[in-house]
Amino acid sequence: MAAPMIEIDRVAKQYGNHAAVADVSFTIDKGEFIALMGPSGCGKTTTLRMIAGLDQPTSGEIRLWGRRLNEDAPWERDAPLVWQSYALFPFLSVRKNVEFGLKQRRLPATERRKKADEWMERLGIAGLAERGVDQLSGGQRQRVALARALALEPEMLLLDEPLSALDPHLRVRMQSELVRLHRELGITFICVTHSHSEAFAMADRVVIMNEGRIQQIGAPREIHRRAANRFVAEFVGGNNIFTGTACVEADGSIALVGPVGTVHAPAPTEAGIVTGAAATLVVPADRIELAAESTGSGNEVAARVVTVEFVGSTVTVFLETEGGGELRAQRSLHEMENTPLAVGQPVVARWSPSQGFFLPA
Amino acid sequence: MSEPLPTPDTGTAPFTATSRRATAARFAMFWGAPPALWQAAFFLVPLGFLVAMTFWSVKSFRLTPDATLANWTFILNAGFFRNAYVYTFWLSALTAVIASVAAFPAAYTLAYKVSPATRRFMIFMLVVPFFTSYPVRIYSTQIFFSPQGIINTVLAPLGLGPLQVLNTPTGTVVGYLVLTLPLVVLLQTFALANVPRTLIEAAHNLGCGRFRTIGTVIIPSARIGLIVAGTFAFVLAFGDYVAPTYLGGSRPPTLSILIADQVKSGNNWPRASVVAVMMIVTLMVVMLVMIGLAYGRRKERP
Repeated sequence: MAAPMIEIDRVAKQYGNHAAVADVSFTIDKGEFIALMGPSGCGKTTTLRMIAGLDQPTSGEIRLWGRRLNEDAPWERDAPLVWQSYALFPFLSVRKNVEFGLKQRRLPATERRKKADEWMERLGIAGLAERGVDQLSGGQRQRVALARALALEPEMLLLDEPLSALDPHLRVRMQSELVRLHRELGITFICVTHSHSEAFAMADRVVIMNEGRIQQIGAPREIHRRAANRFVAEFVGGNNIFTGTACVEADGSIALVGPVGTVHAPAPTEAGIVTGAAATLVVPADRIELAAESTGSGNEVAARVVTVEFVGSTVTVFLETEGGGELRAQRSLHEMENTPLAVGQPVVARWSPSQGFFLPA
Repeated sequence: MSEPLPTPDTGTAPFTATSRRATAARFAMFWGAPPALWQAAFFLVPLGFLVAMTFWSVKSFRLTPDATLANWTFILNAGFFRNAYVYTFWLSALTAVIASVAAFPAAYTLAYKVSPATRRFMIFMLVVPFFTSYPVRIYSTQIFFSPQGIINTVLAPLGLGPLQVLNTPTGTVVGYLVLTLPLVVLLQTFALANVPRTLIEAAHNLGCGRFRTIGTVIIPSARIGLIVAGTFAFVLAFGDYVAPTYLGGSRPPTLSILIADQVKSGNNWPRASVVAVMMIVTLMVVMLVMIGLAYGRRKERP
């Protein structure tokens, strides 16, 4: 495997007594789409700003192609950023905004103009070239900000919450457009977001952060199916988290006895869970099926419907067991249309033991 | 301020909303009226009187109501008025430029380079000069620049000087700067501090170095505040009487000195009023031009 493009090596950023970023290390390969995700204040934006040179690490090293980057001024780096607020220059026209970076590189005016035209065309804002930025909608501003950054033809593009200021319908469109741009350009995208749906929809790999530390790095599917800890399991959403007492069975699998009843799952590969210890089991909500009657195979929990929530084409059913345990199942709307559920109705929640996994103790 | 205060629309019956809005309007009028009345009594009325007086005449040193254009034709055709006008305008414009340029590095430092605590302290220090009355400050400046004053005493052993500042146009400009520089620094600091940080960062991010960013982003972003600061310097200098009298030695006279002269010699209030009205009109035109410059859309260069 080739050397990584960007190395974040034991980087920390201290503000007084507060560590915005504490000991973060990861690498980014050329052409990757990386999402830095976490709740606000987790250090994801600070990490991005340190890559751009807008913040200085207190310790640690950031390397680009093996070369230490820490001392390079922001204007010496090739890492254009798209701000959440777009940060367009209000005293310049759209064209002048797009040309701004090229002008700093002292490109001749004709070439500048040609490149700016190309990128405005590509992002569908060619018709707005002579407008002032205060005459644009949010979505148009975003495109100007993207064109302004991409016109430099950089080897990486930094995005700070690129979609959070957009209307919901625009957000989805922009999301697929970013994915398309990434695929076509083949450059590295580093995107900060607090939304797991955005991160999982766009990124090749997701870096989940909390309180200045990395919680998990992995492909979206991997994180979804194998959360590294309770924070991740809760943050990515769509997971059932069952706590209880473990009991090692004869076949090596582990039974969990808790409010949700007695359920089974394979033993984790790394740390051993011993009988009588407290354990946490994660079962993705979309792996839970709902049935009217027990079939006697797999994990089965008798429960009652508490609420049914419709979001888009997904239906989330919230259930409560007799022991007071809560669980939820995510099914497709299409499936639910055939078997309508009423609040209070008794159902059997069922999943295969292999779908659940224990969190490391 | 006749604008009614915005009232939270609670979405109750329209009658309630309307009467609440009316109450709010009355409330705003009640508190807004005193400054308006004050301005009317002590600015608008005297201004009207001043304009009216330009058409009066003086008969054997006595002010007599009249309807003559003689004062206007006399003053506007008088060489001494034209010279004083050009001279005053030039020195005030020069002051505005010098103050703006000299203040900028200080304002830049205050806005971006110092801690908030230092900034607060320095802003306080910039307000301190206004604690002492302006003529007193000009007197102390006079002591600094007098032939046996502090500056010349220091310069003499170095083989420099003596510096002739008092009773020259330079003295007048120095006095104007004493008056305007702290204010210009203050206004520029506020203007620069209000430039969104992300714009500066965006410029850096797009390859624009720290020094170039001043010209490409900071000055265009703070344009309104910077122009307002310079305009204030011009306005204050244009009407000032103290600096040209005590540091400039009244030679050549500025318009403010001309007004005093007209009144002192011959009690000619109407001619003094003509000069005053000309000054007011000039300031209004300057203000309008500067406001246009500040808020107008900048022409895009191809």
